[in-house]
Amino acid sequence: MSGRSKKFEPRIVALYCANALDPEADLAAAVKAAEGFAVRPVALPCSSKAELSHLMKLLAEGADAVQVIACPEGSCQFLVGSARAEKRVQRGRALLMQIGMGEERLGLARGRGLKVEELMALLERRAGLVRGLGKNPISGEEEK
Amino acid sequence: MIVAEWKPMPELLERMRGVKKLLLVGCATCVAECAAGGEREVETLAPLLRMAAAKQGGALEVITKTLERQCEWEFVEELAKLTPAADAVLSLACGIGVQALAERFPQLPVYPGVNTTALSIREKPGLWTARCAACGDCVLGDTFGLCPVARCAKSLLNGPCGGTRKNGKCEVDENTECVWTLIFERARQRGQLEVLLKVRKPKNWSRSGHGGPGRIDREDLRV
Amino acid sequence: MSYKAGSRLEKVIAAGNFALTVEVGPPRSADPEVIRKKAALLKGYADGYNVTDNQTAVVRMSSLAGAKLLLDAGCEPVLQMTCRDRNRIALQSDLLGASALGIKNCLCLSGDHQKAGVSGKLKGHPGAKNVYDLDSIQLLAVLKGLRDDARQEGGDAVDKPVPFFIGAAWTPLATPEEFRVLRLAKKIEAGADFIQTQAVYDVKRFGAQLAKAREMGLTDRAAILAGVIVPKSAGMMKYMNKNVPGVEVPEELIRRMESAKDPKAEGVKITVELIDALAGLPGLKGVHLQAIEAEDLLPEIIKAAGLCPRPEI
Repeated sequence: MSGRSKKFEPRIVALYCANALDPEADLAAAVKAAEGFAVRPVALPCSSKAELSHLMKLLAEGADAVQVIACPEGSCQFLVGSARAEKRVQRGRALLMQIGMGEERLGLARGRGLKVEELMALLERRAGLVRGLGKNPISGEEEK
Repeated sequence: MIVAEWKPMPELLERMRGVKKLLLVGCATCVAECAAGGEREVETLAPLLRMAAAKQGGALEVITKTLERQCEWEFVEELAKLTPAADAVLSLACGIGVQALAERFPQLPVYPGVNTTALSIREKPGLWTARCAACGDCVLGDTFGLCPVARCAKSLLNGPCGGTRKNGKCEVDENTECVWTLIFERARQRGQLEVLLKVRKPKNWSRSGHGGPGRIDREDLRV
Repeated sequence: MSYKAGSRLEKVIAAGNFALTVEVGPPRSADPEVIRKKAALLKGYADGYNVTDNQTAVVRMSSLAGAKLLLDAGCEPVLQMTCRDRNRIALQSDLLGASALGIKNCLCLSGDHQKAGVSGKLKGHPGAKNVYDLDSIQLLAVLKGLRDDARQEGGDAVDKPVPFFIGAAWTPLATPEEFRVLRLAKKIEAGADFIQTQAVYDVKRFGAQLAKAREMGLTDRAAILAGVIVPKSAGMMKYMNKNVPGVEVPEELIRRMESAKDPKAEGVKITVELIDALAGLPGLKGVHLQAIEAEDLLPEIIKAAGLCPRPEI
């Protein structure tokens, strides 16, 4: 067989609550060093800032997965923000399943003072869950 | 307000078959209040429909627009500049709004994206319960402000039936209070049980949809 | 003596006897033999034979047809009529028809909601449009109007008064209990001549409600017959206690059935004891006996309860 096709590297948008990350984290460097998946980090003042429509749009624009990172239960600075985010993600997952996209393209994880390595490991897990689903069909590229 | 829910996704996707350019229209009044058809919901559904089409190997372009109200002709008119680009319209408004669009744009198929279900109140976030049946002959004055037409599964005017559950819930739905139990409680609290002893005569159902499609004509409001 | 309709049930009650009615369930088919067999089994054992009207919203042979078949077989029927499926036009029409066929007793009910038709293996008709144009109390008034004023609900006359002995149901132990006796008063005010109650297993609690009815003078104005359902198993009793509104089964009875070697026989015994206990309640004018899909148990129970033979009228 000539010409090896490129292995599928999921493109993940990470919507992270700034309060969930270690303030010293050097995200930019970590993003560059990511292997096997590509990440586009987006900082939020609270995980609840991301509406369900935003999550759906990110996927419709071609992201293979969206990972929301929220603060631990009960410690949201805005009291119920992370709880709202969780409900939205649950609804989003159900809707994705209903259209045959696979619920694993959307997920929520919680953390506090996350170091870069912890964040990247989390995203690696999401990449793993999504690899089997293949590329987002809306990007129009066939993956062999 | 009027409340509605999204039609099941399989039904919506089936309806989108063959559509290439969709105009998805929301309404910022009743259906926005019940999180079914406002701007948020429009902007959530649009990407879902596009992804679903891509999953099937096709492509769907979705133009979105949320009107203040779909039951006002002046707002509906705002769609006139968008409809030429579309080959179908999906409206998330109640049945009134869907029909207004269909009437104004008869050349385009206009599909409902929600099922309009009831006239309800928001009891608490995320919970809407039917309160009014638009029966045209309001009996609330005789039932201590609790509607037996909308809130009794059998619309009894001389309830309760023998089916009230032990915990006071309706035999038809364990989540619904037997409204006649509530009416009895209120009557008792007011010391007016005798009001409930009066035999209420059969209702004139012709004042609601049963008499034919409703019509209110106030000539005094037209010049 | 002038009777309202002159049915056997009415006459038995008027003569001061302890009345007995039984229930005959129509088949989920168009087979008249089912009714004829039940009639043959029960003929002579009761003063009135209730035919249910699509009970629990399950489609069965109509109560009107079942009632006529019973009548022809020598058992005077009690036509049960619910408001779930028919509007006031159809109800009045069926009443005229029933009377034309010789049916004299009618029990007016609101009727189980069509959701009840979905149970076990049955798909039922949960999507059916329900009617409930009238409720049971309004229906009572309709019958009274046809009989005493020869007038339809809307005001039009009927050529001749339509004779009926009018019945209503009573669920004395359903929530809210404090209102149930008052609602009974409403039913009698609207036109009920006789009452058949929901199944009684707790004679004491039923007795308390009956006493209140007696205090209000209701037991003189209408003949109250206590409902008795023959228990077949502890499971059945637990089910009814939990799921059937207004049916309260005391713990002792359930334990009795649980430890019984022959539950069927124990059920018969319990039924006879219940009838005996109920017969002792002041103001009670009879019992309404039901053995669901087990009508063959009834003759032996009726004999054991000392209710056989029925009085000569």
